[in-house]
Amino acid sequence: MASLSEEVLLVVKKVRQRKQDGTLYLMAERIAWGPEGKDRFTVSHLYSDIRCQKISPDGKAKIQLQLVLHTGDSTTFHFANESTALKDRDAAKELLQQLLPKFKKKANKELEEKNRMLQEDPVLFQLYKDLVVSQVISAEEFWANRLGGVNNGEPAPYNNKQEVGISGAFLADIRPQTDGCNGLRYNLTADIIESIFRTYPAVKQKYSENVPHNLTEKEFWTRFFQSHYFHRDRINTGSQDIFSECAKQDEKGLKSLVTQGVKNPLVDLLSLEDKTLDEGYGISKALPSTSNANKSVKESSNSAIIKRFNHHSAMVLAAGSRKGDLPTDQASETSSTDGNSRDSDFFQPPLKKVKLQEAIEYEDLQRENTPKTVALNLKKSDRYAHGPVPLQSQQYTTSQDIINSVSYIQQEMTNYKPNLTRVLSSTTATSAIAALSPGGVLMQPVGQQSINQMVPTDIQGELKHLYIAAGELLRHFWSCFPVNTPFLEEKVTKMKTNLERFQMTKLRPFQEKVQRQYLSTNLTGHLEDMFQMAYSKFHIWQTRRMMRKT
Amino acid sequence: MKLNIEGLLVYFPYDYIYPEQYSYMLELKRTLDAKGHGVLEMPSGTGKTISLLSLIVAYQRAFPLDVTKLIYCSRTVPEIEKVVEELRKLMEFYAKETGEANNFLALSLSSRKNLCIHPEVSSLRFGKEVDGKCHSLTASYIRAQRHSNPNLPVCRFYEEFDAVGRQVPLPAGIYNLDDLKDFGRRKGWCPYYLARYAILHANIVVYSYHYLLDPKIADLVSKELAKKSVVVFDEAHNIDNVCIDSMSVNITRRTLDRCQNNVDTLQNTIHKIKETDAAKLREEYRRLVEGLKEANVARETDIYLANPVLPDEVLQEAVPGSIRTAEHFVGFLRRFLEYLKARLRVQHVVQESAPQFLKDIFDKVCIDRKPLRFCAERLQSLLRTLEIADIADFSAVTLISNFATLVSTYSQGFTIIIEPFEDRTPTIANPVLHFSCMDPSIAIKPVFQRFQSVVITSGTLSPLDIYPRILDFRPVTMASFTMTLARTCLCPLIVGRGNDQVALSSKFETREDFAVIRNYGNLLLEMSAVVPDGIVAFFTSYVYMENIVASWYEQGILENIQKNKLIFIETQDAAETSMALEKYQEACENGRGAILLSVARGKVSEGIDFVHHFGRAVIMFGVPYVYTQSRILKARLEYLRDQFQIRENDFLTFDAMRHAAQCVGRAIRGKTDYGLMIFADKRYARSDKRGKLPRWIQEHINDGSLNLTVDEAVQLSKHFLRQMAQPFRQEDQLGLSLLTLEQLQSEEMLQKISQMAHQT
Repeated sequence: MASLSEEVLLVVKKVRQRKQDGTLYLMAERIAWGPEGKDRFTVSHLYSDIRCQKISPDGKAKIQLQLVLHTGDSTTFHFANESTALKDRDAAKELLQQLLPKFKKKANKELEEKNRMLQEDPVLFQLYKDLVVSQVISAEEFWANRLGGVNNGEPAPYNNKQEVGISGAFLADIRPQTDGCNGLRYNLTADIIESIFRTYPAVKQKYSENVPHNLTEKEFWTRFFQSHYFHRDRINTGSQDIFSECAKQDEKGLKSLVTQGVKNPLVDLLSLEDKTLDEGYGISKALPSTSNANKSVKESSNSAIIKRFNHHSAMVLAAGSRKGDLPTDQASETSSTDGNSRDSDFFQPPLKKVKLQEAIEYEDLQRENTPKTVALNLKKSDRYAHGPVPLQSQQYTTSQDIINSVSYIQQEMTNYKPNLTRVLSSTTATSAIAALSPGGVLMQPVGQQSINQMVPTDIQGELKHLYIAAGELLRHFWSCFPVNTPFLEEKVTKMKTNLERFQMTKLRPFQEKVQRQYLSTNLTGHLEDMFQMAYSKFHIWQTRRMMRKT
Repeated sequence: MKLNIEGLLVYFPYDYIYPEQYSYMLELKRTLDAKGHGVLEMPSGTGKTISLLSLIVAYQRAFPLDVTKLIYCSRTVPEIEKVVEELRKLMEFYAKETGEANNFLALSLSSRKNLCIHPEVSSLRFGKEVDGKCHSLTASYIRAQRHSNPNLPVCRFYEEFDAVGRQVPLPAGIYNLDDLKDFGRRKGWCPYYLARYAILHANIVVYSYHYLLDPKIADLVSKELAKKSVVVFDEAHNIDNVCIDSMSVNITRRTLDRCQNNVDTLQNTIHKIKETDAAKLREEYRRLVEGLKEANVARETDIYLANPVLPDEVLQEAVPGSIRTAEHFVGFLRRFLEYLKARLRVQHVVQESAPQFLKDIFDKVCIDRKPLRFCAERLQSLLRTLEIADIADFSAVTLISNFATLVSTYSQGFTIIIEPFEDRTPTIANPVLHFSCMDPSIAIKPVFQRFQSVVITSGTLSPLDIYPRILDFRPVTMASFTMTLARTCLCPLIVGRGNDQVALSSKFETREDFAVIRNYGNLLLEMSAVVPDGIVAFFTSYVYMENIVASWYEQGILENIQKNKLIFIETQDAAETSMALEKYQEACENGRGAILLSVARGKVSEGIDFVHHFGRAVIMFGVPYVYTQSRILKARLEYLRDQFQIRENDFLTFDAMRHAAQCVGRAIRGKTDYGLMIFADKRYARSDKRGKLPRWIQEHINDGSLNLTVDEAVQLSKHFLRQMAQPFRQEDQLGLSLLTLEQLQSEEMLQKISQMAHQT
């Protein structure tokens, strides 16, 4: 039941959902629907869960509103009040339109992020299944560490999210549709409007000047699409067109851009030619007649289109990079404002030098600058793996070499003084030797290969998952040390129980399974060791704590 | 590495070398040995410049008496600066290897606009303004006036240079434009005149074509360069047009009106001077009687105006008596001007040769050939005598007098066309007199005659044999090198049909065809979805592009393209286009991807490189034929046919294909680069077109990709791009398209290389 404090913004009666009549409520933070005659909501969505709303086309008999949730589910409401259905729907739509963007900002970004991480990382997903789904640890615990890592590790993409550029074709997306009775309909979305504003600041200014004092939003956009500004190829412009000023402003902006000149000297067509022919010399290349009068309307509209495309692309580009290089822009601004373009000569050379150097560079003719690393090329990898083999005698080419080396060794031996404080005890030494001699513990053929052969793949897979899950838990556990806050104390105890639980619910069954298949129990030995290590650490910590307390 | 090129020790400032660089150097060495001229084609991005510089510098060091100077001509300012930077790299390598600082002096020279450091003058935007302002501060008579009137403005940089700079030679080193400016600022000397002076004793000079090919400038700047120089024309695929442009003159009614004003001003000035300082005019007359040679011992700053024809032809004789006195000359100009005005009052197109024109002018206004020839020289002398400060104002009368000199000097190779109106607007009278040069060999002839070796080189010079023919010289070496590739990093595709099997072509008949335009749009749309980063598309002409863009806009194709990439379009305004270009690069840089629509023969297609991600695909919409209805072109074609036996169609196709090759070649700037080259016109499949593409492009067109549909092209592109996106390391190239010194010296490789060079 709706709490009393909740503010109800809109109530629409006679709304059907799943063929059931009911009432739709739009509240401050959620939208809800209850069947008629009952006082509970069977449908209730937080605005932040809603991805978007869709409405049925105008011509349709059924007047519907569909809500699509982030989860992908959707709910459809059918407005059934015959006389006012359309109005009801539009009212709901309008309100939602205003409400949704507000919540969109914080629209479960975190959930999406988690979702994304799980989808992108199969290992993480498996881990999630192992730990959270099987309820070894809670989801919060699982994520607390993860997302924290994300936040600390690379704060950039998370904290200030990357500015999304504008599609070059956003105006093309507004396809006018004929509505059947001699009119055009444009579908505008919030995204498109934002694109227009970002690309054409002049329009935004007009918008804030005129809406809603002089024009309604709808009127504003109608005029926009009717204007010469939008249809740049139309030459005749209405005098009362509010956008004619925008066009002029754009023109000015374009001109100032052009006069500013280009920074890269290699693309500056003006200074390309060293010595242009004087006027009157040369084969005349159909000089464009200077008077505009004899230009046909078509021609000038063509060049208007071309201008428009250049301008549009430049604006889109600028809108995309506006935020990023504001400081650099300002720097160049100052350098170009303190004099005409020639004065900025003093600033020019570095860039020019760099560009020239780039242009004459042949990277493949030069030896690579990084010190060349020799790739390890093993002809017999087993020899590499199994340690040194006695050198073949033929490699000692001369007997002199042998004599030399023998005498060298002799000399070394005479000077040899055992450092007795640092030698191993004899028992350790013998055990090490025993372990390393054939048949010893370390010399058992327990290489990767043998595991591959001995253990069936499903067990291997399982073992892998166990390792990952255990590793994750242990990571949590060890990250609690040194335990210096009450929170950590709590956590470390919890983690210990988690570990024990994991051992009970996951590791034991696995061990039993392994035993059932008569495989060497050694497989999990290392895992057990790790757990034991953690437990002993925990015990030490606990006893210390007790001592301190007593 | 140190190379042995047929006994010559060449220092090459890299650890590795491309095989084609080696064979390029071989050919170049042979050219220099033979003291002859050469034509060498090597794809861009294979290190042509550094090969050239390494070899010639080595040659200069080995045989300092045989080759005293390298004159390296390139086309654009960035190109020039790039060359100097490469040279710097080479010299640093020399210093490192030999351990001694070497005494090479190399510098670049550019116009005043790029070199001036005078705070006031250099702030002017246009080259002509800078030149004029500079002249008004530094002309000899202005400086002479200053002796009497010290309040006149002065360029302290020039004064300083004049006082000290000449005695102290520029210390050895490499001077790029900025280095010259720095040096000038430090010393307080004018960098421009310093450079002009220093090129006389420099070992290497890098400057633009005009300083050699435009006789108006060449005479001033390059007259005293040593005969034993090697001249290199880089990016020379358009050299014939540069030659022609520098010798052609257009006269409109506006020119004549301004000229009239000039002549009036001259008259008034003469009148005034006569009252105050008649001695000056008498002095000039005396000088002219003694001969032009004497009169022409001008100071360097005066040579703002120079003779458009080749120097030694005129200067032997004295100025004819009829135009020796100032008043007579002005009267002469008046008569000439009136004659031209009368000629422009035509109702129909007139075309005539220079002798016809001369005969007509003699019949009508009794102007002889001889005084006409001296017109330019005489005007120069007069302007100097009258001490006219702002010489830029007199550009109109200068133009007319240059025309007079040219038309009376050359009886062949030029044509005069008078058109009463533009073809497109037959109702608006806009008479123009075109005096157009049809023979590029006229301008370049003195270069071939004077210098012992001239090398013409570019990435696209195919077919090679046409250049010696139209430039009228006999090369000792002609070679075309291909790009050895470890992976096929270029993918030329000829798209001849749309998905609906409509033949794609930009030919005149189907130009307005919506089906073709739509299919072109589809091609671009599909490519924009497949190709990463930047795509450059070239159209055959600006008008064509405008039309296509408009109809793509109407059909909604552009909007769909915008979904994939941003669109930038070249406009006729250079500043606007520069901005679009920069934004285009920005969009490629930040990963959004962009499309640049541009025009073949435009500034973008000639001067801007689209390396790596700036151009992953180039689409050439149509075959960029020149506008064939122009009378000037027709006259030139006729001339080529009569004089050089080059068929009209051959030349037109050659011209179209070199521009197409230039356009598509913009995308590949090296072996690590890769890109698609899409020729969207079925005519490219014909062997007469295909055969004129450079070899390094041609050999990668296989028969399967001659007549693709849009879909097929997209499939092939996808495949190609996926392959190319794999990492490409140095080791992959090594031994195939990249050699170490040891590999280069192996017998097998040398054999391979020698084979390669002979495939010309």
